[in-house]
Amino acid sequence: MKSPTDPGRRRLLTSGSAALAAAGIGSVTRAVAQTPAALAAAPQAKPLPAYVSWKDAGSMIVHTPTTIETKRTAFGTSLITPADRLYIRNNLPAPDVSIVANRDAWTVAVDGVRKPRNLTVAELKTLGLDTLATVLQCSGNGRSYFPSKPSGTKWTVGAAGCVIWSGVPVRVVAEALGGVAGGMQFMTGTGGETLPAGIDPKTVIVERSVPLKAMEDALLAWEMNGEPVPHAHGGPLRLIVPGYSGVNNIKYIKRLAFTASETDAAIQRTNYRMSPPGTKGSPSFPAVWEMDAKSWINSPAPEAGPARAGWVQVTGVALGGVNAVRRVEVSLDGGKSWRDASLVGPNLGRYAWRQFVLQTQLKPGTYVMASRVTDSQGNVQVETSPDNAGGYLNSGWRSHAVTVVVA
Amino acid sequence: MRLRCAVLLIAFLAGHAHAADDSVGKQLFTKGTTPHCAICHTLQDAGAAGQVGPSLDELKPDAERVAKAIRNGISQMPAFSDLTEQQVQAIAQYVARATGAAK
Repeated sequence: MKSPTDPGRRRLLTSGSAALAAAGIGSVTRAVAQTPAALAAAPQAKPLPAYVSWKDAGSMIVHTPTTIETKRTAFGTSLITPADRLYIRNNLPAPDVSIVANRDAWTVAVDGVRKPRNLTVAELKTLGLDTLATVLQCSGNGRSYFPSKPSGTKWTVGAAGCVIWSGVPVRVVAEALGGVAGGMQFMTGTGGETLPAGIDPKTVIVERSVPLKAMEDALLAWEMNGEPVPHAHGGPLRLIVPGYSGVNNIKYIKRLAFTASETDAAIQRTNYRMSPPGTKGSPSFPAVWEMDAKSWINSPAPEAGPARAGWVQVTGVALGGVNAVRRVEVSLDGGKSWRDASLVGPNLGRYAWRQFVLQTQLKPGTYVMASRVTDSQGNVQVETSPDNAGGYLNSGWRSHAVTVVVA
Repeated sequence: MRLRCAVLLIAFLAGHAHAADDSVGKQLFTKGTTPHCAICHTLQDAGAAGQVGPSLDELKPDAERVAKAIRNGISQMPAFSDLTEQQVQAIAQYVARATGAAK
């Protein structure tokens, strides 16, 4: 795998493939004749911003400099999402890259334990180790499929990935510091982003509270997919809350506290709330925490053009949120009938996603393909997720169905 | 001749009014609100390079979208309920023109 910290190699690979592509196309005139649609779309593609210039540009859709998703066609079938294809969603600009110059020196303050103290990454590394595969998914993934067209980045399916983290279990850290203090009900993480002057910090600070029970499987992670957590993904240290949506997985974590109540930061109090369309978020609405059972088809992808008639492998990914995936069904007729798909590849635990495949023979025609997951508790992926003002947690199989032409 | 003068005068007044609108909107944008827009937004025309909210140069919102965001707030952006409707419109029109969303 390419190292995110080695932009030189990435540049080489990129220019190499560009040269190959140019050689393969032959002449510009021919390219125009062959791919008018692709060329028409090209001017809209935004370049990768500098802080993630090491990402594989051809695999990404750049919505804004802080919101970048993986193309459906770029997930591949190797289960783990490579760092250079993993989505980006930053609520604030990343802190200066100098924070990863000496990763072991990064300090996190741990509060709400009997013996609160600051711990460096070097010290954390002496306390314990666990490795976990989790689905990292932006709370707003799938937003573009909500009928009310909520404001915010129009994510399709690509604000998600399956990633392997290494770090120390939060539970172990708490035990080392005398255990969680009495009366605490939440685990609250605070990001180390630099806040702009002249504005109430509470309106922009990235600080999230999750129910205390989420600490059981949470990690303070310093490694991602075999390398130090890339700066853009929260290095030197990121709080991983398995089964919870992206925003709860605090990047550049500088404070981890067990608290009696939820933080009053706007990102918790009014944002990331499941409020009905047209209403404002407030603590009276459920917070965006655990992810729902969800699956989608990656191939055949409508954006890849017509599929060839004959034997087709219908593939995709399925997650169970906080539960394991038990079963995935695929429909080729818009949900009228369903067939069991096979789960393929290794099972990396209940927080990872599973790949599925349905092998089928297709005649020319147009097919509405959908997938539906059932988790280990028997929860079935919903047909339609409740529309909400923020466009969060869209997991409905119907809106995620793809229309595929087979020729 | 008289007609031509009138046309020129109208054109001048329209152009002048346009410029006046923008200066009010620009002034509000850069320092007329609390917190002021430039802390969080990038808008080259106003010399603003904020990084918290979306870059308006990239988003190119139309005036209606800007006005809605100012009145109601959106995501992390608070509602600016202290502004008069006239002030909201001045900022909205200015942003839409500065980014090229409106001519």
